[in-house]
Order: sequence, then C-alpha cells, then structure tokens
Amino acid sequence: MERLLRNKKSILVFMLPAFILFTLVLFVPIVQSIYYSFCDYKGITDPVFIGFDNYKNLMHDKTFGIALKNSMFFLIFSCVSQLIIGLIYAAVLTNIKRGRNLFKNIIYLPCVLSSAALGLMWMFIFGPKLGINQILEKWGVEEPPLWLMSTKGFIPLPMWIMAFVALWQYVGQSMMLYMAQISGISKSLMEASYIDGCTKPMAFRYITLPLIKPMVATAMSLNAIGSLKFFDLIFNMTEGGPNHKTEVLATHLYQQGFKYFKYGYASAIGVVLLILCLLVTLFINKVVKTEQYEM
Amino acid sequence: MKKRRFLAKIMTAAMLVTTLAGCGSSSGSSNGPANNTGSSSSGKKDGVQEITWMFWDDLNATEDLISLGYKEAIERFNKDHEGQYRVKPITTNLEEYYNKLNALVAAGETPDVFIVSPGPQLTDYVEPGVAAPLDDYLNKDGWKDTFTSDAVFTQQTYDGKIYAVPLNTAAACCFYNTEMFEKAGASVPKNWDEMIDACEKLKGAGYTPVTISAGTAWCLSMVAGYLCEEEGVDLAKLADGSASWEDGKLEGACNKLLDLSKYFQRTAAGDTNDIATANFYNEEAAILIQGSWVIGQINGSNPDFEEKCGVFQFPGVDRIIAKSDSLCMSSTTKNPDAAAELIKYFTDDTAQKYTAEKGGKIPVTKVQYDASVAPKQLSYVMDVFGGAKGTFGFYNESMPTTETGAHFDDTMVAVFLGDMKPAEAAKDMEEYYKANCRK
Repeated sequence: MERLLRNKKSILVFMLPAFILFTLVLFVPIVQSIYYSFCDYKGITDPVFIGFDNYKNLMHDKTFGIALKNSMFFLIFSCVSQLIIGLIYAAVLTNIKRGRNLFKNIIYLPCVLSSAALGLMWMFIFGPKLGINQILEKWGVEEPPLWLMSTKGFIPLPMWIMAFVALWQYVGQSMMLYMAQISGISKSLMEASYIDGCTKPMAFRYITLPLIKPMVATAMSLNAIGSLKFFDLIFNMTEGGPNHKTEVLATHLYQQGFKYFKYGYASAIGVVLLILCLLVTLFINKVVKTEQYEM
Repeated sequence: MKKRRFLAKIMTAAMLVTTLAGCGSSSGSSNGPANNTGSSSSGKKDGVQEITWMFWDDLNATEDLISLGYKEAIERFNKDHEGQYRVKPITTNLEEYYNKLNALVAAGETPDVFIVSPGPQLTDYVEPGVAAPLDDYLNKDGWKDTFTSDAVFTQQTYDGKIYAVPLNTAAACCFYNTEMFEKAGASVPKNWDEMIDACEKLKGAGYTPVTISAGTAWCLSMVAGYLCEEEGVDLAKLADGSASWEDGKLEGACNKLLDLSKYFQRTAAGDTNDIATANFYNEEAAILIQGSWVIGQINGSNPDFEEKCGVFQFPGVDRIIAKSDSLCMSSTTKNPDAAAELIKYFTDDTAQKYTAEKGGKIPVTKVQYDASVAPKQLSYVMDVFGGAKGTFGFYNESMPTTETGAHFDDTMVAVFLGDMKPAEAAKDMEEYYKANCRK
C-alpha cells in the first residue's frame, strides 16, 4: 500500500475522479456563468456578448436592491444569532450528563430535514387563517397579525420570521461544530484552571472560548455562505412576496433566470453572489484571528 | 498481487465511466433550438411512443372541471392510440408553470405539447423557434373549419402563421353571491359609483365585499386593467410613445383601485389566487373579479354554490377582458403528427361540448352544446359577452414583453400596498417604458 501511495501515477489515478467531478460539476459551470454574465443569453438562443450591461442594469434594479438588503440582513442575523445560541447550547450540553444525547438530537434534527418541507410547515403555522392565528382567534384576538404578509418597515416582519425559522433549523449545525471542538479540549487544562481558582464561567471565557476560535471562524463562514445562498425556505414561505419585499439574491436569480428567460442577467446575480461569498469568508477569517494552541 | 492490481484497474475504469456518464448526455450546445436534443422526454417504452404534455394544474389532485376535461381528452387519446402512443402529462401549479417550462426548454427537453397564454408569453416561445407552426395540420382534413372563425387565431398568429391552437375562451367578469347581495340590499352595479355603493352596503351588512389576490399579482392587475380601460388608457399609443403614462389616466385608475381596496379581504396582500377564489365559493366574500375559467373551479369545489352565483360585467366599461388557453407544439418533437393529433382531441366535439356543458367556458368551435345542462354561470357570461362592445386582452399580456407585464403587475400591487402613490406609479411606468419598450 505504501509503495502504491508513493507512486505518483497511482496518486494521479486516485485523484482523477474527484478532479473530473469538481471540474465538470463546479469549475466549468462557474466559468460558464461568469461568461454568460457578460452576455444577453436567453438559454435557448446563442449568447450575445454585451459587456458590463447586465451589471449596469443590476444597479437600477429595485428588486435586486431589496434582495441584496435582505440577504445581508440574513447574513448578519444568522452569523450573530447562531454564534451566540449555538455556543450557549454547546456549552450547556457539554456540561450536562443526563439527556445530553436526547437534547443534541432534538436540536440537530431540523438540520437534516428538507428545507422545502419545513418551509411549507412554517408557512401553515404563520398562515393568516391557520396555525398561530387560529389559536389567537380562539383566544378572542379579532385581527391577528399577518405574519408573512406585512410589508412595513426597513426589514419587514416576514423576513424576521424566516430568519428565526432559519435559526431554529440550522443552530444545531453550529452547536455540533462547537461541541466537537469543546470536547477536544483536554480535561487536564480545565482541571488546572479550576485549581488556579477559575469559576466555570471564567474557564469558559478564558480557556474554552480562545480554544474554539478556529471553529468559530469555520462555523461563521459556513453560516455566512449558507445565508447568502438561502433559497428553499424563503421560496416556500413567501416566494419573495408580497411584491418582492422578501426577495433574497437566490430567489431573485431564480425568478430572472427561469421566469423571464434572462439567463445572462441571472448569471450576473450569481457572480455577485459568488463574490459576496468570497468577500465575507475572507472578512470573517481576517476578523476572527485564530491562534493554534495545544489542546 | 497481479489479480488485485487488475481488479483495481477495473474499479477505477468503472468509476471513471460512471462519472463521465453522469455528466454527459446534455450535448451542451446552446446554438438554438435546432441544436437542442429536442423533446428528449418523449421516448419509446415497450414499443409505445411517449408524448409529453405540459399543463398548469395537477390532473389527479384537481377539482377544476376544465382540468378534468383535459384529463378526459388525454384518456381518449391514449385509448384510441393504445400500443402506439401514450401521453405523459407534466403538471405543476400555475404560479410555477412558466418557470418549469422554461427550465425544460433551456435543457433541450421541451414538452411535445404545452399550454401557453397568448401574448408576450407565446411570443417568448415563437420567436426563438421553440413552438412549431401548425398551419399544415390545421388545414388538413378541415380541422381549421371546425372553429367558429379565423378570428379565434388572431392572438396565436405571427407573420401569417398559426403557432398555437386555442381551446376555449374566457371573459373576466365579476362573480357575485346573489344571496349576500339580497340580504345586504345591494343591487348589481352598472357604474363605478354604484360599485362602491354596493360594496358599502355589503360591508355594512357584515360581509367582506370583495375577495382578491395580490399575492398572485396578475389577479389585482386584472382589476387595474379594467380601471385603466375605464380611464381611457391606450396601450398601443403608450408603446409607440404617442401617449404618456403620466397623462393622469393611470393615476385615476390607481385612485379607483385604492378606493376599491378598502373593501378587499384583510389578507388580500398575501392570498394566492386559489385562496381568494376559495373565499368566494366558501361564501366568505360577496364579489370575486376573475376570468370565467373560474366557473369550473367554483362548481367543481362547491357544486351547491352554482345556484347562488351570479355574474355581472365590470362596471363602467364597454369592453371586456377575454383570453383563451392555447396549446403549442414543440418544434423539436420527434412525433409531430401524434402531437398535432393530441391537440386535435382538445378541440373535437366531445372536448368542446364538455368545455361548455361541464367546464362553463366558451367553446372555440362550432359545436352544438346543450345550454340547459351547462353551468348557469356560462349563460350569464354569454350575456355579458353579448352586451359588450368588444374585447381586449389582459393588460400584463398586452404589453410589449412578459417582463413589462410583470412590472405593471408589481406596480399595481405596490400601489395597493401603499408603497407607491398613484402619481409615482405613473412616473415609474413611464420611465420603464422609456427605458425598455420604446425605440
């Protein structure tokens, strides 16, 4: 086996399937999308090169502005809320002995369920005549709130609701990452800190937190990219409505590409999304400075 | 050792082949429809050719009588062509229909036959050559002569060629609950003031006067279209630049829309078309402004409601909005004769009689149907048709492009939601036309 792995040809052969898959499924489409973003391309006719026109049009597209704002809101909300709540869950669950696995599974369960199905479920829960409003009406509330239909405010109510639903769905993922990192911290380190007079909160602040910083950066990057690409939950809960008020970049891209046949324009939105993902990842890795400690 | 190495080589080769096979087959060309692999969804199974047919309702789950009529037509075709052809319906909900169809077209898997609305949406499939001209088939065996007149093909004709076959005609009318009107002391309105008066009486009697969907933007936009007609908006002049959206007419229409919106159901902003329609046949609202295709949906979902359902023309206008569902044939179908034959099944006497007698829509052929067994609403709609001085298309389907129509829909919803003032809406439409529609 060792001889086989020393052989460069065999390494190449082993790498080839993954390389071909990556190239065909990811790299080629990305390059194609970048090219199409400079074209007037309707998907069924030849793409016509138009330079930066699609990008110029994005500047005047009101819905793109709304989508960008909503995506940024999602990004900030998800990063902050999942960081805080995920950490709290992880810290609490690593410190309890009974019921740890049960709670871990309960919190993580929504992560493995289909976002589309969950979107429908939450749409019914927040529907005007079903779910919460049905209960409120039984309690005598004459005009219960229209959770997913309100359009008032800089960030309308449906966006807050969907952000909370996304938090509920994905906080388990952050929790698992933090838990994995926390459980890797040597017990002797913690014990030493307690001998030195640390309380549990102090040990968390001065030992656990610095040691899980690399995972914070990873989890935040994953959250950020996931939030920017967010689609299925929003599409199933509001379809970007009312009147595009809850549109995000991914839903706007979908509408432009598949509703209006504007594949070139949709590709330009996709490229903006790609650049945003890269910038945000770079920013997070820059801001969350990590140092490697022996654990 | 040699054996193991050989096995490893075989395994690697198998992985590579499956990987490449998974990535292949799309042919990757984007050189227009001629180079598409065509209706690849139509294939041969056990010697039976599959004809794909795409529609905007689930034929198995629907209660809509028109959709059920289409299902019957398909079953007849399958029975008559057993062992030779079989129709494979591809269905989706109305809101997602064009997205899914466009995705299939772009993937080179255009359905053999697909339904489409006339206007810019049909143009989207005619101009790039996705839809095939049907003149040869229509002129064969006198098929075209079975239609009421050549005028039924007006919206489906491009450069003298017919690209779609209309299946039925529907008119946008006001459907009302006669019982609620009676109890509220309201009478059928003839003009705008009477409409507001009737709504006020209905509201006073504790009813929701109007149910409408702004969640499905074209529903609200259809009412806006009628109000624009009432104000004298001329779409042709607006398109060529000899008129301006800022001449006060659209503003007037928007103000009327806002007046009427005071009588909409509370959830109008987010309700879909289906929910808004259900509000009407479940007797939660008194008036539904909708196309007469809704008759099949109303009577299919709540047959008892037929007796209480009246119809009146949108007040204050001489013309009515009319539209027809049309079937197109893919230009890349492998079975053009069978696809055309399938379309014929939707316009034969059996299908057209069903259209009128059960579905409540107006047939497009000269078929004789029994008016006494047809839904009562159909005769009311025919009365409205007879009294009208002409027809015009849906506003969003009468504008230069699909996107312009969608922009009009969104603008009207924005006015309704209070995001735009009527004057701002007029300015926005004028700017949009200047930037995108006028040369």
